[in-house]
Amino acid sequence: MSRQGGIRFRYLRRDMVQNKGVNLTLLLMLVLSAFLMATGSMVMERLVGAVDQLFDVAKPPHFLQMHKGEYDEAALERFAAAHPEIDSWLIEEMLGFDGASLAWERPSTGESGDLSSRLIDNLFVTQNEEFDFLIDETGAIPEPAVGEVYLPVGYQQSFDLQAGDELRIRTESGIRVLRIEGFVRDAQMASLLSSTRFLVSTADFEALAAAGGGTPEIIVEYRLDDPGTGADFQRVYEADAAVPKNGQGVTYEQIRLINAFSDGLVALALVFVSMLVMVIALLNVRFVIRGMLTDEVREIGAMKAIGLPDRMISGLYLLKYRAMTLSACLVGGAAAVVATHLLTGGIEDNYAEAEIGPATFLVPTLALSLVYLFVVGICRRVLGRVRRIEVVNALVHGSTLDERQTARRARRQARRVRRGRLDGYRGGNLNRRLAMLELRSEARSWLLIPLVFCLASILMTLPMNLYTTFDSSRFGTYLGVPDSELRVDLQFSDGLDALRGDVLTAMGNDDRLTGVESYANLTYRIEGDEGWETFRVEVGDYTQSTIEYIRGGRPGAGQIAVSALNAERYRLSPGDVLAMRLGDDEVVSVEVSGVYQDLTGGGYTAKMHGEVTADAAAYVVFADIVGGGTPAAIASEYGGRFPNATVLPTREYMKQTLSYAVDSFRGAALLALVSGVAVAALITSMFLKLRLASDRRRMGMLSAIGFSARELRNQVQGNALVAIATGVVAGAVLSATVGESMVGSLIAMAGLGITDLSFIPNPLLVYVAYPLLLIATGYLSTVFLTAGLRGADKSGWLTS
Amino acid sequence: MKTGFVMPQHDHAPLACRNLTKTYHSTDPATEVLRGVDLTVGRGEFLAVMGSSGSGKSTLLYNMSGMDRPTSGTVHLEGRELTTLKDAELSRVRLTRMGFIFQQAYFLNNLNLQDNILLPALKAAPGDSEAVVSRVDSLMDRFGIDHVRRHGVTQVSGGQLQRASICRALATEPAVLFADEPTGALNSSMTTEVMDALTDAHSGGTTLVMVTHDPVCAARADRVVYLRDGRITDSRELGRWRADDGRREDELFAWLSGNGF
Repeated sequence: MSRQGGIRFRYLRRDMVQNKGVNLTLLLMLVLSAFLMATGSMVMERLVGAVDQLFDVAKPPHFLQMHKGEYDEAALERFAAAHPEIDSWLIEEMLGFDGASLAWERPSTGESGDLSSRLIDNLFVTQNEEFDFLIDETGAIPEPAVGEVYLPVGYQQSFDLQAGDELRIRTESGIRVLRIEGFVRDAQMASLLSSTRFLVSTADFEALAAAGGGTPEIIVEYRLDDPGTGADFQRVYEADAAVPKNGQGVTYEQIRLINAFSDGLVALALVFVSMLVMVIALLNVRFVIRGMLTDEVREIGAMKAIGLPDRMISGLYLLKYRAMTLSACLVGGAAAVVATHLLTGGIEDNYAEAEIGPATFLVPTLALSLVYLFVVGICRRVLGRVRRIEVVNALVHGSTLDERQTARRARRQARRVRRGRLDGYRGGNLNRRLAMLELRSEARSWLLIPLVFCLASILMTLPMNLYTTFDSSRFGTYLGVPDSELRVDLQFSDGLDALRGDVLTAMGNDDRLTGVESYANLTYRIEGDEGWETFRVEVGDYTQSTIEYIRGGRPGAGQIAVSALNAERYRLSPGDVLAMRLGDDEVVSVEVSGVYQDLTGGGYTAKMHGEVTADAAAYVVFADIVGGGTPAAIASEYGGRFPNATVLPTREYMKQTLSYAVDSFRGAALLALVSGVAVAALITSMFLKLRLASDRRRMGMLSAIGFSARELRNQVQGNALVAIATGVVAGAVLSATVGESMVGSLIAMAGLGITDLSFIPNPLLVYVAYPLLLIATGYLSTVFLTAGLRGADKSGWLTS
Repeated sequence: MKTGFVMPQHDHAPLACRNLTKTYHSTDPATEVLRGVDLTVGRGEFLAVMGSSGSGKSTLLYNMSGMDRPTSGTVHLEGRELTTLKDAELSRVRLTRMGFIFQQAYFLNNLNLQDNILLPALKAAPGDSEAVVSRVDSLMDRFGIDHVRRHGVTQVSGGQLQRASICRALATEPAVLFADEPTGALNSSMTTEVMDALTDAHSGGTTLVMVTHDPVCAARADRVVYLRDGRITDSRELGRWRADDGRREDELFAWLSGNGF
């Protein structure tokens, strides 16, 4: 080792031993940011890899259209023939059974249960031949034998099912039993879609169809030459009047987004949290380095005096931060490998086990390299102050300031103290007054605490607000689902109008229900880029509607409200006039009253005020429950009474649809909470340790002139409390204002139909409990750190 | 080392310590800095404590003033035992009955000179601020720093700062004034300035205990004690100081050299 290297190493070792507490805190902060950054990037890489892997094998369609009821197969043939951009296409036939018709049993133990708690559609299908395959746990494309069934992996997790269990299906002609052979991953019907597929053999499919009780549905699926043109293709498809399209249409991009939605958001949340933690760590590093330069200014002066170049002096100090950041990246990276393994268990179950490739190592290495370069860059910048230290000022006055800066500071100080603070004193708490004066004059140094607590507060609040928003029963109203307890869908049935009459009569006479409101779904056509395009409109009375509008308001007479995606597609704003026609009728003009965001029906919907007339394609009825019976029980009762109607307890349904995302957010919120509290405690402790050390002469003097240890403690604790509370309040305000729009725009960029997100926070939790928790954490750390003042050797403060 | 010297006794002694010891256990082996010091300071006396570096002068001062707690022994101030007092009581005693002057003039940068001097006095008598302000005004006038009362602590000279320290220490009308190397950081003209001020305070009746290594400063005292390795090994009565007494310093130098200073 060279002589210079030896000096550096000895300095490093001495500093590590002498400033254990501060160095350890800094190291922990750096480890935490490196860990979170590496974990976020690794989860993201695993997720993208897993989705890619699944998509490679499963070959999901580039555009799919769901449909229930009769359809014209010849029209689909004609459409396919007319569009050369179609690579291949298929019609997948499906049989839908509701969860209550499905039960499972474990012959070996006699355990059993039913799937009635799952409200999404359970669709029985056979394996496709060309594309859109269901994939088993080994990544293969299974072909079930007669008597076998493959269930979605989600069901395996929810109901703790095993291969070998039996699935019992209640059909109109009795119970049919199939053996669960395994579980399948579904590329196109992932966590956020409202249906899921069961794989059976062709013979069993035909037997189930013949047995009755299932609702036949189809999906028309297309693979295109260019997968990126799904949205354009959808417009072309919807402009064709003859093809079937009364269900949801979904593009390849949407399928990908939906697949990555919840896990991707968690990875994003991790990266977001890690960036905040890194900002906090950098603030600390800056504070510590500046404090160190002040403490060691005489040594620096001496080194400069004997002719050591500035670069070498700052290099001596930089070595420590280089070593710490490098260690933090290594430790954080290693811990991230374990954490990623734990976090991606669900991803592997739902998608695929992504192959380990160069990206698996490159992505976290790149993320950690960025952390290293950024932290060391900031350290280098702060250490640049070494250049400005003047030898004489450093050695004689122990000051990091040059002549001009010293004079400027003295002038500033003189101006500040010219007006006496105490000569007008007429009693009151002198100790408190002194503390406030200290806080004011040392505000720049104390600034670290409000900044850190502000960031910690944002760090804890935003993920929690996101979680409570997605978990709230009101969240549906942001997504186009009215805040009602029951939803009845009437479609694809003969005598639809009679059925609607029966349902409305039954619900109207039911004392347990209130606010029964029915809407008709009509298929209008409006002029778009592709000529007259299909435009689905829900017609009814919206005067009591609870939908949230992001622009404008609910529709009145002669008005229509459109979904955010429709507003974007057709460039509509409130006040615009929209020309549309029903079938071959004359064109009618309606005024756009407002824009709402919608996740239902693929996001392209509209709501028009008007009479609910007969002959609609479908109807929907909403109702609330005023007493007696749970929404699920009443939904099940109506489902039994009207087999051709789909009755759902809306909130429960929303909850299930979003449950995967909600679970992920809960995990992210918890992680953020723990990180926030840990960061708050660590930084407060470190700051006060350094603050008390640099303040010891002042405290020694105050102690000598008669201030007790308790009074000195009160000064520090009071100032810390003010600084902490200021930061926490600022954090809460920023979270509620800027934070909301920041998260909102991030989610809007995901293009899922949510263009504007208003938090539905748990105010007691995030605006009372969280701030109190942070303040208590900071305050307790202060109490702990200042406890030593009582027994301290006060004379030592003056002589050290 | 001289043996068998007799500690002078004073009636109504405001300050007395008996068998005072102080051992620092943080070092290995433990360091015994004070090894059984007996000392009495008479009312209105000016006592100088001398000794070589590391002899325990400052430690003695801090233990007598309650800034530090002795390992064993007692300290009485105006008949009240200090070593058994709780921190808050001891702080109160320092506030109302003691004044301090340090080698470095410690002041709060965010207060002007007058506020710094007012601080302990206002704390000691919060309900009597008018009387306190007028007392401080006259002290500043007496010690010649009235014209810099609104100055910040970085705007005045070292001598002015130490005189401000004396004003602050006297503002509470203490029973004893402790000074730890009050001229240690000053040049000779400032040293004279500060010693004149201390002598002035003493002539006003203030009891003064000063630690110093400067024989010229110590010559102003009524009595000098010599500390070696944590014990008082000698003491010399000098009597009242007079500016025209040229032999006093020579006698002290001779005595000190006899003590190996």
